[in-house]
Amino acid sequence: MMRYDLMIDFWRRFLRNKGAVLGLGILLIVFLLAALAPLLYSYSPWSMVQRPFLPPFDREGFLFGTDTLGRDIGAGLAFGAQISLLVGVVSTLVALAIGVILGAFAGYYGGLLDHALMRFTEFFQTIPSFALAIVLVAIFQPSTVSVIIAIGVVSWPPVARLVRGEFLSLRSREFVQASVVLGQRNTKIIVSQILPNTLSPVIVMASLMVAQAILLESSLSFLGLGDPNTMSWGYMIGAARSVIRQAWWMSFFPGMAILLTVLSLNLVGEGLNDALNPHLARKGR
Amino acid sequence: MARAGQTFSFLLRSSFLWCDVNKLVFIGKRLIQAVFVLLFIVVLNFFLIRAAPGDPAQVMAGEAGAGDEAYVEQLREKFGLDRPLHEQLFRYVGGIITLDMGYSYRQEQPVAKLIFERLPATLLLTGAAFLVSILLGVLLGALAAARVGRWADSLITVVALIFYATPLFWIALMAVLLFSVQLGWLPGFGMETVGAGLHGLAHSLDIVKHLILPSLTLGLFFMAIYARMTRASMLEVVDLDFVKTAKAKGVHPGRIWRVHVLRNAILPVVTLAGIQAGQLVGGAVLTETVFAWPGIGRLMFDALLQRDYNLLLGVFFISSAMVILFNLVTDFFYTLVDPRIELK
Amino acid sequence: MLKKFLAIVVISVLVTMVNLVNAETPKPGGSINVVIQPEPPGLMLGLVQNGPTQMVAGNIYEGLLRYDNDLKPMPSLATKWEITEGGTVYTFNLKKGVTWHDGKPMTAADVVFTATEFLPKGHPRWRVTKTNVTKIEALDDYTVRFTLKQPFGPFLGAFEVGSMPIIPKHIYAGTDFKSNPANNHPIGTGPFKFNEWKKGSYIHLVKNENYHIDGQPYLDEIYWHVIPDAAARAVAIETGKVDILVPGSIEYWDIPRLTKRDDICMTSKGREFFAPHCWMWINNRNAPMSDKRFRQAIMYAINREFVREAVWNGMGGIPTGPISSKTRFYDDDVKKYPYDPEKAKALLKEMGYDGTPVRLLPIPYGETWQRFAEVVRQNLQDVGIKVKLVATDVAGWNQKQNEWDFDLAFTYLYQYGDPALGVARSYITSNIAKGSPWNNVGGYSNPKVDELFANAAVAYPDAKRQELYTEVQKILAEDVPVAWLLELDFPTIHKCDVQNLISTGIGVNNGFVDAWLNR
Repeated sequence: MMRYDLMIDFWRRFLRNKGAVLGLGILLIVFLLAALAPLLYSYSPWSMVQRPFLPPFDREGFLFGTDTLGRDIGAGLAFGAQISLLVGVVSTLVALAIGVILGAFAGYYGGLLDHALMRFTEFFQTIPSFALAIVLVAIFQPSTVSVIIAIGVVSWPPVARLVRGEFLSLRSREFVQASVVLGQRNTKIIVSQILPNTLSPVIVMASLMVAQAILLESSLSFLGLGDPNTMSWGYMIGAARSVIRQAWWMSFFPGMAILLTVLSLNLVGEGLNDALNPHLARKGR
Repeated sequence: MARAGQTFSFLLRSSFLWCDVNKLVFIGKRLIQAVFVLLFIVVLNFFLIRAAPGDPAQVMAGEAGAGDEAYVEQLREKFGLDRPLHEQLFRYVGGIITLDMGYSYRQEQPVAKLIFERLPATLLLTGAAFLVSILLGVLLGALAAARVGRWADSLITVVALIFYATPLFWIALMAVLLFSVQLGWLPGFGMETVGAGLHGLAHSLDIVKHLILPSLTLGLFFMAIYARMTRASMLEVVDLDFVKTAKAKGVHPGRIWRVHVLRNAILPVVTLAGIQAGQLVGGAVLTETVFAWPGIGRLMFDALLQRDYNLLLGVFFISSAMVILFNLVTDFFYTLVDPRIELK
Repeated sequence: MLKKFLAIVVISVLVTMVNLVNAETPKPGGSINVVIQPEPPGLMLGLVQNGPTQMVAGNIYEGLLRYDNDLKPMPSLATKWEITEGGTVYTFNLKKGVTWHDGKPMTAADVVFTATEFLPKGHPRWRVTKTNVTKIEALDDYTVRFTLKQPFGPFLGAFEVGSMPIIPKHIYAGTDFKSNPANNHPIGTGPFKFNEWKKGSYIHLVKNENYHIDGQPYLDEIYWHVIPDAAARAVAIETGKVDILVPGSIEYWDIPRLTKRDDICMTSKGREFFAPHCWMWINNRNAPMSDKRFRQAIMYAINREFVREAVWNGMGGIPTGPISSKTRFYDDDVKKYPYDPEKAKALLKEMGYDGTPVRLLPIPYGETWQRFAEVVRQNLQDVGIKVKLVATDVAGWNQKQNEWDFDLAFTYLYQYGDPALGVARSYITSNIAKGSPWNNVGGYSNPKVDELFANAAVAYPDAKRQELYTEVQKILAEDVPVAWLLELDFPTIHKCDVQNLISTGIGVNNGFVDAWLNR
């Protein structure tokens, strides 16, 4: 549905934002690292391949040093990228699924349904979300799946609010009224008429949500609630915590990785925002 | 600085407007809502927590190093874990209504006592983090808006972006590494120096010293948000017609700032403050873990690992209550600042 | 000139001699600060027996005997003891003039009350020991006699303060033990009296002025500090805020830094009675674990020396079988399993291992155990065994073992000085029952082993017991019902001016009676 010239326009606006370009670049590097990890490292990040506590820049091939058991931190960074991106994207999709459905129904049908759904959303926003995530993961035993579901479950409210708001305003527009008059079924209207017009803000929100999801996942892993069979950046920082006095590099590099990834996602999100909503361009950029 | 003073007196004057029937009705309605939400949370947590495998009797028997089936049964009976689920639930909810949160068999003390012993530490930490984030955030945002386009603006924007993207627990660790381990300026953990036996002012100062790193790291994330938000809304407002009119009419710039710009810019900050409450509780878990701060965040985490149901529920209840209360206050404050907003 | 020089030499020698002598003579007085981790759930040793409780309350209560670092019995509340009738009658003579902390005298009636009425209610280990006893009687105010069904070698090893603390009859008889208010203010006969417990902060014990050994204890008081954070504990001893870090309260990575200091000393003694033995349960019920070759492959695949170096800072011993080298009747003349991945692979090939993944349950007590599990997982994967680590917390860990819902599970148990007390329970068929993580969780069942353990417990004299235990160790080392990993070493870290802290096989648990400060 997006015309070719619209796409060119979009890209031009996006590329004008230097921050967004930088973000995209970093994101690309992270993605490549994740995808090429098995090629870059012939061993698993859990293998004890060198002497423990090797400092960074000390030995050929071990740029980032080793951890307390002699595992290559560089390998951990690469394979950790896989987990971060996977969990970040999938949990965001879960949150989007829940939020879009609830928000669409609330905004389209209005009335009692809207009222009920909004109270429900408010209630969810009252519970401290990180605390709830911890409880959910601990209850369902930490694994990649339970982490994804837990993050999805605590992240959907802002999506629902956004989608509801969009639906509320779009529902009274002429093209929707026209469809109603023509006798189109409600679900068809929702899916084929209104939803596509809410895509832009949802996409922007999604990129910011992936960033938040990555932060959540690393926090859970840091506390020891991550999947014990996946090497994640948060886990690496948590494991290095007790030896931080002797080995700063074990916590430093994974943390930088998280920071750069999240930062780039935020930059890209803002770039998307500017590119998709040019009339809301802020002053002073 | 003068602007800060004027803002404050304006707020003070507005607060006398609360003696208003509308507002009392508003408070009443929201309080009733709050009670229902809390009850719902309690029931939800009750079932959620019991869905986890393993029970406290097994944990305690295991730690006694001696568990046999009879011993575990003995413990179960002691905790009332052998009663049917709905009976346990009724007993618990009944207790909550009288603010009796049950007994932590793990620690052999009433839950309420455990929580209220450690609550002040968390309130101190989150309160300090909140203040730091708002004050520094709004200040920096205003500064960036005032110097828009110049290097101060760029610097603040970039720094805010970075703090927004930084994982809380990691920056906490780096802060400990830098300021505590390397430079030795500040203590890296705890709320007070162990076994120092200080009193009075020296004790308070000791606590403040320990408070600096944790509250700063906890407040960083939202400080970044407030900074960017303040900057953006101030720039928006400055651009609006009525401000331009006022400028053209030759109104003193100071008056423009405090009557128009500041007042409008505060609204989104207040909204955000309400949201921050919930995040602060979660952030407290991480901060209290890294800094060994003796608050309820860490208490909750330990209670979860030990399957100390009553304690866990109690902490959830109290933190949700805190969030609801805080939201109530910010909602109310919102109406004071902008009378245009309806009290629904 | 020469005279002056000579004078200096003489004076220096004298001064040195005086100092040396001083170093031997305990100095009375002083307040000592110790760390306790985690905070004990209670101090009434008759009802609560977990680790921290034993450490603190072991100085408030006393048992009939103490045991030295070779596990030989020494007098405590009992001054003399006699074993007669072919090992079935034990007669103890009690010390006269011992008083409870409230002033009342301790007599044989207290001992009989403790053994027959109190402990069976709240002390699972004593309950089990007591099943060997037919009669407990006080012959007079200061003599107690235990009559056994048949000889039971380990019986004399069951009287340390944690296994059988003597409880005051005049306070507990006829009351509901669990709700007796004295539980909050424990009354014992020990060298230290309970004074105050500020929950979450510290426990304060003070010197028992009327203690039955003249001149002791030397210390005036003990403060047990609750410091939940490991890094904080390390700093506390570095800055002198605490004097002793009890076993289990220090992260192994901090140990080298601390012990490098001149004023901090470390000892591994004082755990001989407990001899914590760490192994991995193998669920013998399911394939591929039911095949002996798979279990032997596991033993060959694990690099236990590396684990000890990298995870436990070089501390601990490499076990050869079910009995620890610190426990009685240990024999290392058994099949050995040095680190040999090739042998492991060969065994797996021989049995036709098809790559079925196995689940590994780590001990959920902290970072060290998590690293331990990760190393073992990697070792096993390197020889081709597919391993998945299961994430769990304490409750889940207990539950999974109780329900036999695991393939491989880490655990460690205390040996209590005698194989009949601490070892047999893990390998005998009669102990296979759901509901406890401390019995035969792995499900190994061998009638010959059952017979050997049963006979060895009641054999007489010790030489006969050794013969039987040697045979059972050989069989178990061949069958590998569990994968023995490490004889754990939990050192005690203390300031060097704390003298004579560890003089028994249970270390700090009853060590403060002899300790003194050279300050």
